[in-house]
Amino acid sequence: MRGHSQGGLLTVSLALARRALRNSFRRPQFLAPLVIFPSMFLAVNVGGLEQATRLPGFDSGGDGMLDFQLAAAITQSILLGGVGAGIAVGLEIQLGFFDRLVAAPIPRTAIVIGRMGATAGLSALQVTWFIAVGLIFGAEIDGGIGGLLVIYLIGITAGIGFGAIGQALALAAKDPSIVQGIFPIVFVILFVSSAFFPRGLLDPPASWVAEYNPLSYIAEGMRNPIIDAVDMTKVLEGLAAAAGTSAVFIGLALLALRGRLREA
Amino acid sequence: MTVAMNLRVIRVLAFRALNEILRVPGGAIPGVLAPAIFLIGINGVFGQAAELFGGGIDFTNWIIGVSLVQAAGFSGAATGVNLARDIEQGWFDRLLLGPAPRSVLLVGIVGSASLRSLLPSTFVLMVGFAIGVDWPGLDGIALAYVLVMCFAAAAACWGVIMALRFQTQQAAPLMQVVVFASVLFSTAYAPEQLLAGWLAGVADVNPTRYILDGVRQGFVFGVDWPATWHALLAVTGLLLVLGGFALRGMRRLGR
Amino acid sequence: MPHAIEAEGLEREYKGGLKAVDGIDLAVEPGEVYGFLGPNGAGKTTTVRMLVTLLRPTGGVARVAGFDVAREPHEVRRRIGVALQEAALDQLMTGRELMELQATLHGIPAHEVRGRADDLIRRVGLSEAKDRRVQTYSGGMRRRLDLAMALIHRPEVLFLDEPTTGLDPVSRLTLWEEVRRLRDEGTTVFLTTQYLEEADQLADRVAIISSGKIVAEGTPAALKAQVGVPHLDVTFVERDGEPVDFDRAHEVLTNFGDHRPATEGCHVSIALSGGARDVAAVVRALDDAGLTVASLELVQPTLDDVFVEKTGRHLEGADEAAAATPAATADGSPESDAASRAVSAT
Repeated sequence: MRGHSQGGLLTVSLALARRALRNSFRRPQFLAPLVIFPSMFLAVNVGGLEQATRLPGFDSGGDGMLDFQLAAAITQSILLGGVGAGIAVGLEIQLGFFDRLVAAPIPRTAIVIGRMGATAGLSALQVTWFIAVGLIFGAEIDGGIGGLLVIYLIGITAGIGFGAIGQALALAAKDPSIVQGIFPIVFVILFVSSAFFPRGLLDPPASWVAEYNPLSYIAEGMRNPIIDAVDMTKVLEGLAAAAGTSAVFIGLALLALRGRLREA
Repeated sequence: MTVAMNLRVIRVLAFRALNEILRVPGGAIPGVLAPAIFLIGINGVFGQAAELFGGGIDFTNWIIGVSLVQAAGFSGAATGVNLARDIEQGWFDRLLLGPAPRSVLLVGIVGSASLRSLLPSTFVLMVGFAIGVDWPGLDGIALAYVLVMCFAAAAACWGVIMALRFQTQQAAPLMQVVVFASVLFSTAYAPEQLLAGWLAGVADVNPTRYILDGVRQGFVFGVDWPATWHALLAVTGLLLVLGGFALRGMRRLGR
Repeated sequence: MPHAIEAEGLEREYKGGLKAVDGIDLAVEPGEVYGFLGPNGAGKTTTVRMLVTLLRPTGGVARVAGFDVAREPHEVRRRIGVALQEAALDQLMTGRELMELQATLHGIPAHEVRGRADDLIRRVGLSEAKDRRVQTYSGGMRRRLDLAMALIHRPEVLFLDEPTTGLDPVSRLTLWEEVRRLRDEGTTVFLTTQYLEEADQLADRVAIISSGKIVAEGTPAALKAQVGVPHLDVTFVERDGEPVDFDRAHEVLTNFGDHRPATEGCHVSIALSGGARDVAAVVRALDDAGLTVASLELVQPTLDDVFVEKTGRHLEGADEAAAATPAATADGSPESDAASRAVSAT
């Protein structure tokens, strides 16, 4: 008897992405922290540092602290989403679902690409959440509809990259608790960027690291259309940082997948 | 059981919790690192904000108290998560089946959180001194440690209440977020006069704010009694209220 | 002398009206091993959790070691040892550390702790492994450690909740031996199990629980006697190309049974009215009648038969009981379900 023909990369990836996204919503205990922690930070940063926009050299485009911090909250949230994606993959490996996928007649790369699709979808929802929160509490998108699209574009591209980091780690480490252990590192990397405070006001060594930290450019790329008219240089820098991060880590995730399949 | 026996039970329960740290050091690293990372990160990023404070306050001295209280809070929440794990795995039944009174078990569990908090808080202090935090004086450091240990116990009581209520580790975010929020929705980043109106209002009624003020005293202003008693009152009140609910939860188990 | 365990109308009702335990009456004598047999979800563990004070009854009363489980739980806890189903052990601690912790929790004086822990560890055969972390123990070792921990304060009444579920036959036998030794020492043991042969092998008396109610109670032998006499299955073979004379076979066998034998192929089955002692006479009579027997199998009624009779369903563990036959046969008890299939060939 002839077996079923192998599913196409796109079809299978979409099916896996849909499944991963659906599962995310069925595990609210993993999903909620993705928005709750950054929302709390947003509230505290805005409430506690409201006066900081008065500091000389603090460029908030004349807007308040909420407008300034919104991009930081989005960046933080999608970074946590990447950790979440890694934990989900680690759990699938631990519980044996990953082996089931490997044993199925599907293109192996669909396993990684499917998860990326889910991360992209989740990132879009995370961006929407924070834009909505911002608008409700008085923020404005100075860059208009075009600016809004830019925020989504950078947010989703970066989200795919962060998801790829989580996946690469999970595929290499096989254990969800190891991926969970990178949670504090996520905070470190974000702190040593210009996500929360203008680059010019950071103290060394944070200021030195922030100069080369792609998260600085990703956050600034999303912040620009919120606090000002769209500045193509900043937007393109942000997009390049997000795309570069994605390309590097997708490559690493695929390599980790190959290594894992070789082990099997 | 005699008082001496009860004290032995408390001691072995507290040391069992410490055993986890010694035997799985990797598991304790995030809890130890996170507050120190927070200290370094926030200090580097928001350091310039101290220009707004006035009075020559250094931001590093200002923020170390937040990291210390956070370290205590995370230790307490971790105790709650561990209890939930013990409940899930059936280990807690074993404790309940012994003749030790529920209050003794609670003191043992909560006491372990106080002891655990010494590790991250000492690490935070060492990191703090390395990046320029001023020596707070013996009275300042003693007060900070007392309040940190008591806050860890209070946070552990909260963790215990949640663990007994939900009986699953999935309640972990609830344990952590509430503690985390109670520390941040206070004078964490700036003195009250610089906070936004709504945040100042929340900080006013948030007992953790007074505990934070107490921990911070030695590092920023020097210890004085009028500021200290607020902190002691707040932490005692928290311990009594949360401890009472936790004990009630222990006694109601199985009903 | 008061009962070691007694319950009257014991109930546990959950929200929504579901009764996990529905009016149980029982009385366990001191020094008795009382088997509590039932399928998964029958209410065994809920009953144990009420008797050991981990769960409050919603109806009825229960006394353990003379104390009310609801009103005097503290007194009950001082007198009982419990090994629960999960064998919940701290994976990071060593066997000896766990024993010492348990001893302290039970208020055993500090100078006695080490000695008692070492004695019990030796008794359950874990001396070699006592300084290893529990995470390196096998399932059987964990159960034995769990049992040792339950005994550290020398309890009057020991509760064992499915102590051998999931264990291999050898580990199961080791635990059985320990339970027998405890019985010989006079400890009252309340043992829940879903395994027929376990109840049969260990229990002085057995209660069968189904859907939260006790449907039968008594000694294993008495319960099995309630459902009838043993069956003898006989398989004949042709002699020198001559077909088996089944009419003659029926004629001979009918003398030994209450019922006319049923024929299926070369097999004949009969309920032996005289029990196992008639087997030799049956063999002689068949031989005298010139019939050649390929095999004889004496099938005793099982506790599963009792369960079927009382509930109309089979026990879930019935198949596993059969699978454990070699281990049980080695024990050689003629009363055991597992040993009830004695096969001989002429």
